[in-house]
Amino acid sequence: MKFSLSREALLNPLQLVVGVVERRQTLPILSNVLLTLDGSRLAVTGTDLEVEIIGHADVVSADEAGEVTVSARKFLDICRSLPEGANIKFSSSDGKAQVVSGRSRFTLATLPANEFPSVDNGENNIQFDIAGVILKNLIDATSFAMAQQDVRYYLNGMLWEVSANKLRAVATDGHRMALCDAECNIEIGELTKAILPRKGVIELSRLVADEGVVRVAMGSNHIRVDGSDYCFTSKLVDGAYPDYDRVLPKGGDKLVEGNRAELKQAFGRTAILSNEKYRGVRIMLSNGAIKMVANNPEQEEAEEEVGVDYAGDELEIGFNVSYLLDVLNVLKGDGVRLTLSDSSSSALVEDAADGSAVYVVMPMRL
Amino acid sequence: MEPGSAIRKIIHCDCDCFYAAVEMRDDPSLRQYPIAIGGKSDRRGVVATCNYKAREYGVRSAMPTGQALKLCPDLVVVPGTMAKYREASMKIRQIFYRYTDKVEPLSLDEAFLDVTECTQCSGSATLIAEEIRRTIAEEVGVTASAGVASNKFLAKVASDLNKPDGQYVITPQNIAAFVKQLEVKRINGVGKVTNEKLSRLGVKTCGDLQAFELLDLVDKFGVFGKRLHDLCRGIDNRPVNANSRRKSLSVERTYSGDLADQPACMLKLPELLLELRSRLRKVDSDYIVTKQFLKIKFNDFTSTTLERAATDSLPLESFEGLFDEAWQRGARPVRLMGLGVRFIDAGEPGRALQLDLFD
Repeated sequence: MKFSLSREALLNPLQLVVGVVERRQTLPILSNVLLTLDGSRLAVTGTDLEVEIIGHADVVSADEAGEVTVSARKFLDICRSLPEGANIKFSSSDGKAQVVSGRSRFTLATLPANEFPSVDNGENNIQFDIAGVILKNLIDATSFAMAQQDVRYYLNGMLWEVSANKLRAVATDGHRMALCDAECNIEIGELTKAILPRKGVIELSRLVADEGVVRVAMGSNHIRVDGSDYCFTSKLVDGAYPDYDRVLPKGGDKLVEGNRAELKQAFGRTAILSNEKYRGVRIMLSNGAIKMVANNPEQEEAEEEVGVDYAGDELEIGFNVSYLLDVLNVLKGDGVRLTLSDSSSSALVEDAADGSAVYVVMPMRL
Repeated sequence: MEPGSAIRKIIHCDCDCFYAAVEMRDDPSLRQYPIAIGGKSDRRGVVATCNYKAREYGVRSAMPTGQALKLCPDLVVVPGTMAKYREASMKIRQIFYRYTDKVEPLSLDEAFLDVTECTQCSGSATLIAEEIRRTIAEEVGVTASAGVASNKFLAKVASDLNKPDGQYVITPQNIAAFVKQLEVKRINGVGKVTNEKLSRLGVKTCGDLQAFELLDLVDKFGVFGKRLHDLCRGIDNRPVNANSRRKSLSVERTYSGDLADQPACMLKLPELLLELRSRLRKVDSDYIVTKQFLKIKFNDFTSTTLERAATDSLPLESFEGLFDEAWQRGARPVRLMGLGVRFIDAGEPGRALQLDLFD
């Protein structure tokens, strides 16, 4: 295999795929990227057996087609440290790869391309197009609520539900939940569900940054997202996601509306003196105002009061302040609406003007 | 002197080779032999405790029984009876409580007592320690050693100095001279690695260590540096914690033959889990399980532990999942497996309970 291209053209696909290449690998080949030259198009593939990303680049000269694998980390570090605008010549033969640029020359070890594992692409059941930026908003509005390393393994991921012209994303760690809807172009009769693994969700959010339209294909065991210069494939988590609809609070009678930035800043300050382990904050709701109080084991205390639109019974309720701040951070509008009922029932938090995303936070008993 | 700043009187009481002492009490004929309490060598047991005769041969706690028998071929290995030791331990604890409520048990045979406010023996901690040791010998039939000092660190070091059946007192006036010659390896927390690191710095005694600035020690040893800085001067303000609470609970087993592969290990998981569950039923209901973990020691003695968030239900499948992942890390025959859980303590003051969305 032999080709040449600019440093920048090569860096782009390398940086797209390097995230899935783990540093500590039991299988040596998994720390490599697969380079495939087909015509004038170079494909760079990285995988961790669960998530696979292929990045594409056009080469300047395609001298000899072929495929080979080299260390992702070292190849990226070399390309990164070459000067801007450098031209890179790559060639491989006899188990070695050569990277030449100007007066720099690197000889890298290779592993055979036919040993590089691919993530199985089974049958696609459904397929739809969606703007990358919408998909990114959907993921970013919900991914913070995914569990991490929970034994309920299906919570370490994100539920996607596709119905007629609608894509819904749900994430929960059992204490709080995020749910967001986006419009997408699909004619479909019945609901299709899939659980994307946490790592896939995080990588996908990095990939779909731009305005372009991406094509999403879902099968029973995998999901595939094709963008203009990348292709993302992930295995799906096999498991039954909890019935999220059941935990959406319905009987809340205490409607509070306030300024998001004001509330966020006040909670942020209160959090400083909350117990570092439990992060508990006590909220006292009364006509026209929310008061928040935090104490820590050193007997220090923070107290804040924020004016809000509320008229009704008083309520005292405790929350993990980090959960509230997470929500206030991902919401974008000026106003925020809280719906509460009593001190042991969940709170519903949403944008005052935009109902496409809702957040549920369970209280703490303080 | 103000009440808050009064010099404390702490006793560290430690029974002498406790399990072996209980066995010799119940069968005096054992006294003439070197004995060890622990698992049999053909089942790959380890020595839990041994008597002083056995120690003369170099037998030590936590030594594999096979190795102990090589050092001392006449060693009598007695399988332990936990229930018996627990009963003796409870009797000893009751003796402590005659003097103070401020008792912090460290294990079945070891405890700290804060006797600052005791009025017995004219308030003399030295006399109280003597009386306690005499009472343990009379009522329980085993001997204990004690250290008396103004804090936990010094009391613990002191209890080791006149073992067995003796005690050592460090008066406030003697602290400076005592720590000056005290070897740093006697400090709880200074193990092999830290000791080697200190040796390289030319530090052998606490006196040597006193020459180092606080910031220097923190830089070299992290948070432990602050503690070293205090301890080498004989300072330890930790209170005797009468109701110290559990942070975790675990069960483990060393198998008499290596478990060859994954299926062989999987077969052993249910009985370990049953044991864990039965132990869990005995702990306070204030403890809430937050994490579960699984430990494997492979036959090359490397070990690995995997931990996940968990709830009280602890299904077998969740441990099987942990096992699969942990096994990959060594992928060789397994010598030991352990299961455990970590708690948060709802009884702890100031603690908050996060409610769950799904029950």
